[in-house]
Amino acid sequence: MPLDTSSYSLALLRVDGRRWNELRRINAQIRTQAAADGSSYLEMGHTKVMCVVTGPSEPFGPARVGRTGAGAGATAGASGGEAGVVVSIVVAGFSSVDRKRRGRGDKRIQELQSTISSALAASLHTHLFPHSTISISLHVLSQDGSLLAALINAATLACVDAGIPMTDYVAACTAGSTSTYAANDESADPLLDLNHQEEQELPGLTVATLGDSDRVAVLVCESRVQVSRLEGMLAVGVDGCKQVRAILDRVVRDKGRKMVQEGTVQKGVGLEDMEVD
Amino acid sequence: MPREAEPSLNEKQFVIQALQSNLRLDGRKFDQYRPLEVSFGEQYGVVEVKLGKTRILAKASAEVTVPYVDRPLDGIFTIATELSPMASPAFEVNRPTETEVLLSRLLEKTVRRSGALDTESLCLVAGQKCWHVRVDVHILSHDGDLIDAACFATVASLRHFRKPDTSIENGVLTVYTPAEREPVPLGWLHSPFCVTWSFYGDEGEIAVLDATWLEEAVRVGSCTISLNRHGEICQIAKLGGTPVEALSLLQCTSIALVRVKEFSALLDKKLAEDAKRRDRGGLLAELSAENDR
Amino acid sequence: MSSQHVLLSPAELSYLHASLSLQPLPLRPDGRSPTQFRPLVAETGILPGTNGSARICFADGTEAIVGVKAEVERTVQPFTQDTQTTQDEGETPAEDERRKEEVGGSDWVEMTVEIPGYRDDDPTTVFLGQMLQEALLADGEFTKRLRINGRFHWKIYLDILLISPPLSYPLPLLSLTTHLALLSARLPRLKSEGDEDPLFDDDWAASTYVYPRDNNKKDGKDGNNKVVARPPVTLLVMAVGNNIIFDPAREELAVADVALAVSVGEETTTTTTQTGGDDDVDMEEGSTPGKRRLRLLSVRTIDPPSRLTPPGVPNATNTAYTAPTGTAEAKTQDGARTLETERVEGVWKAPRGGAKVMVMAALVAKVLEKGGVADEVLDGLEAVDLG
Repeated sequence: MPLDTSSYSLALLRVDGRRWNELRRINAQIRTQAAADGSSYLEMGHTKVMCVVTGPSEPFGPARVGRTGAGAGATAGASGGEAGVVVSIVVAGFSSVDRKRRGRGDKRIQELQSTISSALAASLHTHLFPHSTISISLHVLSQDGSLLAALINAATLACVDAGIPMTDYVAACTAGSTSTYAANDESADPLLDLNHQEEQELPGLTVATLGDSDRVAVLVCESRVQVSRLEGMLAVGVDGCKQVRAILDRVVRDKGRKMVQEGTVQKGVGLEDMEVD
Repeated sequence: MPREAEPSLNEKQFVIQALQSNLRLDGRKFDQYRPLEVSFGEQYGVVEVKLGKTRILAKASAEVTVPYVDRPLDGIFTIATELSPMASPAFEVNRPTETEVLLSRLLEKTVRRSGALDTESLCLVAGQKCWHVRVDVHILSHDGDLIDAACFATVASLRHFRKPDTSIENGVLTVYTPAEREPVPLGWLHSPFCVTWSFYGDEGEIAVLDATWLEEAVRVGSCTISLNRHGEICQIAKLGGTPVEALSLLQCTSIALVRVKEFSALLDKKLAEDAKRRDRGGLLAELSAENDR
Repeated sequence: MSSQHVLLSPAELSYLHASLSLQPLPLRPDGRSPTQFRPLVAETGILPGTNGSARICFADGTEAIVGVKAEVERTVQPFTQDTQTTQDEGETPAEDERRKEEVGGSDWVEMTVEIPGYRDDDPTTVFLGQMLQEALLADGEFTKRLRINGRFHWKIYLDILLISPPLSYPLPLLSLTTHLALLSARLPRLKSEGDEDPLFDDDWAASTYVYPRDNNKKDGKDGNNKVVARPPVTLLVMAVGNNIIFDPAREELAVADVALAVSVGEETTTTTTQTGGDDDVDMEEGSTPGKRRLRLLSVRTIDPPSRLTPPGVPNATNTAYTAPTGTAEAKTQDGARTLETERVEGVWKAPRGGAKVMVMAALVAKVLEKGGVADEVLDGLEAVDLG
């Protein structure tokens, strides 16, 4: 079903009623699961993902690694002096409108796994944990666009919860442009945070930045777009990442405050010590 | 699983220090490619690309088959990449490594999803018969920058390829042999090329084009940008790695556009040369003159 | 399964085994009574994009999410009605008049289990999925609900995700989550009639539950049918010595003599009793209406990880240990024999051989006992708000 973009120029409102620079509602929780080292749940609009982090721990035996094979996906800096970051993504069959099953051998999934793994490996202080594995398992419960961005944000939160030292948050969001690639229309507005419908019809890209800086860890564009529009989209995307970072930071701080109030942890102890509970 | 031999610490240090003092081991400038050689085979659609010591062979082929049920009006177009143990002992047959998965995804996004090939023109009888165009990309030797070379080879082989001419009369489909009718080129819409940047330094401040295998082994991140000469981005992939300033990424994109225009001109020139070589006159000349109408 | 790689020393195993086989009551590491379940947190209807969904967190941190998706599918017409080979065992006379529309195919339900770190064709994953599917299809009641008309039926896709790493054998968790997801599953209301192409009501508020709600909700559909059917649950039971222990944790499973997955369903109608097949066990003849009547749907033995545990070395055979009496040589000979044949008190040895029939029978009986564990679990699940 083609997206009706004609109304945009009139009211400057998008299909779901947002303005060009508005994010969808982001709702996130950390420490959702008692057994895991780190866990998080993140909603960006109707895109819902869960993340569980195990480790840093001793790598699984060779038998395990062999069995998981390509499924466990990407490792970064596997052995040697740094911890390997292993990401596995499970896309639930019920996550999209029409049930469609993606095997774990799917190349798209493998690409996502490898992207998240190497994006986080650049922020995590993996050199502190030689010969160990940080295993990140992501579950996609519901998809409505900006999947990669949601996965990166959830993984970041879970790593924070797991108490793995990291440089800063890796925050991600998507940006797009209001008209299709065919039209070389200069007046096209950039858009922030695409939903599924917009992602299908409009050119867009996913950006992830490190912390508050303008430094881009991930930039993925999968649609045809005029090179002149890149700058606008990237600027909006980077700005969106800063907003997302602020939201993620608030989630972590709120949880921390709550844990202090409930007496789970004592005030003033470092993140490291929060793990001992 | 055999692993790629890693360069020694000394080698790594040497390459990085050289780059920091604006030097590359082979004396190139940072934004300079190694000489790109293209040679076409006797058959249509066979191309060998050499980029320094990286060698890639691409072969396009077509066969008549049944279209997918959900896309009755489209032909089928697939790109198959194979990284054989010939290129590096780290590659195993039937066991795709991360490099292979990322390479095939990039080619897929650059060439197939950007709509470079007009798949609708491959349809013969709606819902019943269509062409299946397939490009096999073989990596013969791996010395860095596989993606750019593989993409160039894929595009070159598709543009060089001729599929047999066909006609439909009273619902009967006839496929003509090259002797009967001159084969026809594919419906081609635009030629996308990949340009891969490698980043070095703590903040990814050093950007280098066409990294060799050794340079790839020590890089902290990479970004592949696919463009065509009309200035359309087909795909950008900076899949993780050390974060890089947004502004320098924009700069990289504009330099990439210049390189893509050069690639495009080079390929046009090579194709024209090859066409001239094949144009021998005689019966073939007559037939091709007919096609020129 | 990581539950199969419990890293416990033979001494620890021996201690666990000894405390779990204490009479009259076993001493469990977490202080539960033998029939007590671990506390759990459950919620349903968490994903609006599905027909039904549920999430359960056990107190040990294991967590599962189940989503139900339904699609309309054309029913493959059998050559003759009589050649249908579906399960007719749980049939009641009430269904006789609906003869021609009675059964559904077992391929109307597709179940997939996803366990992080495991391939989907891994034997453990497949086995888990099969056990859950078997229980659901055992009485043929479920597929009957999926029938739309003579030509179409609903195809149900059940996707079972284990979110946490598999800390304990996840079967009970997955089964309970599936149970809740199915209870919360709703299908659009059918607007068309007879065998015409199905047309559904767009209004989701008007949708009907796959498992109709009981009449304490004001919109009870069937006045005469007091007991509303529920999907089956599969419970994990194990035996150590003569003790029967429910919902074993990972450490407990590591010393199990025998472990069983028992699937229990609820009798649909209270009016008639008919023992259809040998799988059918009626616990209470003519029980009072309102009381739940349980029936056994399937029993599967689970290979307990205890069989793979390393044995301890008794002092008698331990050459490193020098007893005050006897020469080392005599000891090794004696010891070799002891190792083969006898159990030495306090030294762990993996259980060998199968379970006694008596124990198996006791296990099953204990599950189905009136007011027993299955009752308790179903009661507990009933208390979950199915919003």
